[in-house]
Amino acid sequence: MAHKDDILQQIMEAFTEGEFDEIQPLVQQGLDAGLDPDGILDNGLIPGIREVGERFRRSEVYLPEMMMAADAWQEGMELLEPLISEQGGKAEPVGRVVLGAVKGDIHSLGKNIVATMLGTAGFEVLDLGVDVRASKFIDEAEGFKADIIALSALMTTTMPQQRDVVEHLLARGSRDKYYVMVGGGPTTAEWAQEMGADAFGETAADAVNLALAHVEGET
Amino acid sequence: MISFRDVVDRALDGPITSSKDFDLRLLVRTVRRLAKEYDVQYDPETPVSGDDELADRIWQAGVELFLEVGVYVPDTERRITFSRDEVELALAYNRGPILFGSGVDRREFPLRKPEDPTPPWCSLGAGGGAVSSEFHLLSLIREYARNPLCWSITTPSLTHVDGRLIVAGSPLEVEGSIRNMVMGREALRQAGRPGLPIVNGVASAAHASSHIAGAGFGIGPTDAMEIGAHHEMRVDFDSLNKVAYTLSRGSQIWAENGVILGGMAGGPATTAIVTAGYNLLDMLVLRGSTQHPFPIHFDLRTTTTRDTLWVRSVANQAISRNSWLPVANLGYVGAGPTTEMALYETAAWVTAAVVSGGSIEAEGVAKNAHVDYTSPVEPYFASEIAHAVVGMRRQEANEVVKALLDVYEARLPDAPIGVRLQDCMNLENGEITPEYREVYSKVRQEMTAKFGLEFKYPSIYL
Repeated sequence: MAHKDDILQQIMEAFTEGEFDEIQPLVQQGLDAGLDPDGILDNGLIPGIREVGERFRRSEVYLPEMMMAADAWQEGMELLEPLISEQGGKAEPVGRVVLGAVKGDIHSLGKNIVATMLGTAGFEVLDLGVDVRASKFIDEAEGFKADIIALSALMTTTMPQQRDVVEHLLARGSRDKYYVMVGGGPTTAEWAQEMGADAFGETAADAVNLALAHVEGET
Repeated sequence: MISFRDVVDRALDGPITSSKDFDLRLLVRTVRRLAKEYDVQYDPETPVSGDDELADRIWQAGVELFLEVGVYVPDTERRITFSRDEVELALAYNRGPILFGSGVDRREFPLRKPEDPTPPWCSLGAGGGAVSSEFHLLSLIREYARNPLCWSITTPSLTHVDGRLIVAGSPLEVEGSIRNMVMGREALRQAGRPGLPIVNGVASAAHASSHIAGAGFGIGPTDAMEIGAHHEMRVDFDSLNKVAYTLSRGSQIWAENGVILGGMAGGPATTAIVTAGYNLLDMLVLRGSTQHPFPIHFDLRTTTTRDTLWVRSVANQAISRNSWLPVANLGYVGAGPTTEMALYETAAWVTAAVVSGGSIEAEGVAKNAHVDYTSPVEPYFASEIAHAVVGMRRQEANEVVKALLDVYEARLPDAPIGVRLQDCMNLENGEITPEYREVYSKVRQEMTAKFGLEFKYPSIYL
C-alpha cells in the first residue's frame, strides 16, 4: 500500500497533470490507508484544485480543465463529507454565491468560468443557468442562504435586467442582505454604479477577488 | 445535400445527451484526442503559418470532430449527427456563385485560397457594436458606404429607441430591430448605394422574433441574416427558427461562430480544430453562404492575441483549402477609436486572415464593450490593409504580423479605449477630427515605411 504522504502527493499531481478520473479512487485509497478525511481535504484536494486555479489564471490550462477539476473535487468530497460530518466537523465554504445570466440572455460561457473559479476558490455556488428572471435570483438566494448574487449579461439589451434584479431586491426590502456583483461583455464599472450593484468584475479573476474580499470583510 | 428539414428532425429525435456529458465527455475529450492523433500543435513563432500539411491535418481533425460529436441542441438535450457520406456529399455540392447585393453593388463573394491574388470581400461595420442613437447609426453607415472597397455592410446595434433603453425580449427589442433595418437602408440610400447588401440582419435583435420582425424591413434575397451557433458546437431552437425563416424568405445566411480560446474549445490547437469543424456546422445546420468566425481570447476578449491570430491563420487555411464555404473573418480589437494601437491590431488580424485565404468583416473596437466607442476609420483602414496584403506570401506576412505584435502585444491587457464616435467624427458630415487624421496618417505611413505594405489606393481620409 502506498505511503500516506505519497497518496496526498498523488492527489495533487492528479490535479496538476489532468488525471481527474484518478482523484476519487485516490481519495478512497487515502481513507483505506487510514488518512484523516480533514487531512485529505486540506493537504490533497484543496492545494490540488487551487493549483489548477492558479494555472488557469496564468492561461496554462483552460476552462475544460477547470470544470473537470471541479467535478473531480466534488467526487472526492462525496467520499469525505459524510466522514467529516460524522467527526462533528463540516467542510464550510468561504461563502455562498447564487449566479446566472439574466432574463433574455442565453450566453453561458463567461458565467461558467466565473462559477468554476468561485468553486475552486472555496465558494459554494448555485448556478441558475441562463435566461433567469429577477425574482428567481432572489428566491434561490434566500433558500441557499447566499452571501452574493452574481449577474451576467452579454448584451447591451440584457444589461437592464441586471438593474431589474436590484429593483426587485429593493422592492422586497432585501437589498442589504446580498452583495450584488455584475459582469459580462458590455458591462462596465460605471454601469455597475449607475444600476446600483456593489461591484463589477471585468474578468473572472476579478469576480473571484471581489467575492473573496467581500466575505473577508474587506468591502 | 441533406435538407434542413432532415436536420430539424434530428434535432428532435437525435441521440439524447446531457449538456455536461456533451461538453466534458464528448467534445473536450474528442478534440483533445484528435489534436494528438493529427499532430496539431501551436507555434507562437508562426502567428501566420505557412504549413499546408498542418492546415490539411486540422481540416481532417475538424471533420472527424464534427462526425464524432455532432451538434448539441439544448432545447431537446439531443445531438444532431451526420454520416460520413452526408458530409462528403455536402462538400461535393456544387452550390454555384455566392452573390450578394443588387444593382451596381451586386458582387460575387470570392472563394479564396492561401496567398490568393484575388481581392477579399470587405464587409464594413462595427462588429455589432452598440451606438446610442439612430443618428449615430445613420452617420456611421453613410461613412462605411463612402468607401469604394466596402462591398457589404454590417450595421451597428442600437441601445435606445426614441430615448428608451431597449430591453431584450420586450416590444422595444422588436421596435429597435425594425428601426435598425429601416435606418440602415435609409443610410445606404443617402450614401447613393442602396443596393449595398446588409449581411448582419438583424443587429439589434436578441431573439428570433425580433430578427424576423426586423428582417421584414430591410433584409431581402441579396442580403444576409447573421445567425450564430453557441459555445461550442451548439445550436438552439432560436437559431434554427431564424434559419427556417431565412430559407423560406430566400435571403442568405452569414453563419457566425466565435470560438472562445480558453473556453470549452481549450487551447490554440484544439480551438483551431473546433473552428474547422464549425465550417461543416455552418454548411449543414445553419445553411450558411459564408462562415463568419472570430476566434477570440477568453480573457482579453480580442481576436488580436498571438494565439488567436495563429488559430485564425491555420483555420482559414484548413477551410479554404478543403471547403467551398468561404470564410468572412470578423475581428475584435482591444484598443478604441483615435488610438494607434487599434490600427496596429487591425493590421495584424486582417493580414493573418487575408493571406490565409479569408475575406473580412471589420470590426469591433475597444472590445465592443463600450457604447459609441466606434468609428468608420478603423474598418476603412482594415479594408486598405486587406487589399495591400493580397497575394503576399505567408512567410512574409508572418514577419509583418510578428513585428506588429511587438508593437502592441504587451499592452493588450490595458488597451486604451480611445474616444466616442461623436468625439472623433462630425456626425453631420462625417469629417474626422484633425487629431484622428494625424494618428491615422502616421500609422498608415508606418505601414509602408516600417512594415513594407503598399497601399493600392489613395485614402479618403487624407
